[in-house]
Amino acid sequence: MTADVLVLGAGSAGLAAAVTAARAGARVILLERHGYAGGMGTASLVHTFCGLYLLGDREPVIANGGFPAEMAERMQWATGDSGPVKMGRVWVLRQHPVEFVRIADELLRESGVEVLFHTEALTASRESDSWSVEAICRGRRRTLRAKTLVDASGDAVLADLLGAASEMTESSRLQRPAYVFGVQGAAGGEDGLALAGRIVDGIRRGLLSKETLGLHFRRSGRAGEIFGTIDLSGAEEGDYDPLDAACLSRLEVTGRSVAAAAVDFLRKEAAGWESACISHWPVRAGVRESRRWKGRHVLTEAKVLGGARHEDDIALATWPLEFRETNRGPKLRYPEHDRAAGIPLGCLMPESLDGVFVAGRCISCDHGAQASVRVMGTCFATGQAAGLAAALVADGKPENLAPVIRKKFPFGV
Amino acid sequence: MLRDEGLVELASDFPADGDLFAAGLDSMAVMQLIVVAEERFGAVIGPEDAGRENLGTPAALADLIGRKRA
Repeated sequence: MTADVLVLGAGSAGLAAAVTAARAGARVILLERHGYAGGMGTASLVHTFCGLYLLGDREPVIANGGFPAEMAERMQWATGDSGPVKMGRVWVLRQHPVEFVRIADELLRESGVEVLFHTEALTASRESDSWSVEAICRGRRRTLRAKTLVDASGDAVLADLLGAASEMTESSRLQRPAYVFGVQGAAGGEDGLALAGRIVDGIRRGLLSKETLGLHFRRSGRAGEIFGTIDLSGAEEGDYDPLDAACLSRLEVTGRSVAAAAVDFLRKEAAGWESACISHWPVRAGVRESRRWKGRHVLTEAKVLGGARHEDDIALATWPLEFRETNRGPKLRYPEHDRAAGIPLGCLMPESLDGVFVAGRCISCDHGAQASVRVMGTCFATGQAAGLAAALVADGKPENLAPVIRKKFPFGV
Repeated sequence: MLRDEGLVELASDFPADGDLFAAGLDSMAVMQLIVVAEERFGAVIGPEDAGRENLGTPAALADLIGRKRA
């Protein structure tokens, strides 16, 4: 199979990249390891879009035009939600993973992207005038060729396959993963502070494990359904390593056992929880941070906090730095005067490779900046920029990429 | 205590009757708060005490911890 643009990973960034490239006229192949698109927002049941709106006290204003705005609109139409809600100082849009899957299918079909689900990249290399990617589905290999590549794998998988420069924060400081699950039958039951107190009481009495601390529930927006979220330490046994299958496996098992024990406990002790049950496991625990590309520009924590802008900005990073280095809840740090920093195109371009672009949580930045840019709203924005850039370069138009992207997808002030 | 443990970010002049929930305290932070109150002050806060009337302001919280110290 041959295409103009090959996108690895159909999470929020890869979906945006593939759809944007196809709309720009490119033939696009999209590789995805699961049976549906959406990544963290579907397979990991992360049920809010963060990073869609500008910071500040005024009414919610979409930060990045184009795909992020379109997703917000389509999601609101699908969920019937009246609009974003304020959580602390930030606006978020509630989203439903099941609706996200449907919306993604529609977008991919409408834009004509060739999607290969159940597929992982095995090798990648440069041939004379194109990239060659060997993909594997259930032991069967096929070779795909494309003029340009977009790495939206979340884990900078292509950097490793191409032997390109990447980095990863040391295990002890990596953002901790989240484990999200669906619950039916407790929507009218005890909630909020009373439920928090109930869970601590269960831990104190030795009926619940310490990992249960931090478990909280949110309404999904659907009748009778809530989502539970646990922040895992990731180091239940040994160091946390989000690229190690054994570590990831422990995460999945721990998440399920903590969730199951908590719901069993609440069924016995919490008012209105008598017939509650777990209705939905995630396909995978929600990894927040892992390997990142080393690009031509490295966005730093100081620049995000200072609201820095650059000549080749292609999107805004509107989410505060959300640190989750422990499983004791988020620590948020806001930029000066709530001014969002710009993300330069250089963060989406590998140090020394042409014809490759990066999008999503593995763009080139430091640990602190990643705590802002990793959220889905921002991934939509870096995704569309990488997708358009990849389509333009594949079409032989590599000049003035950033101004062209900005003109097509303007961002707020 | 709230600041030390990073449970909620408060300005240095945050009033004793200020609204902690408006300042960003949420149900997750409340779980940490209950644990810290027990570890540091020996105050056991039960599920029946975990409401806004007891946790909503620094003054109410101090009063609750005082009452719950064995």
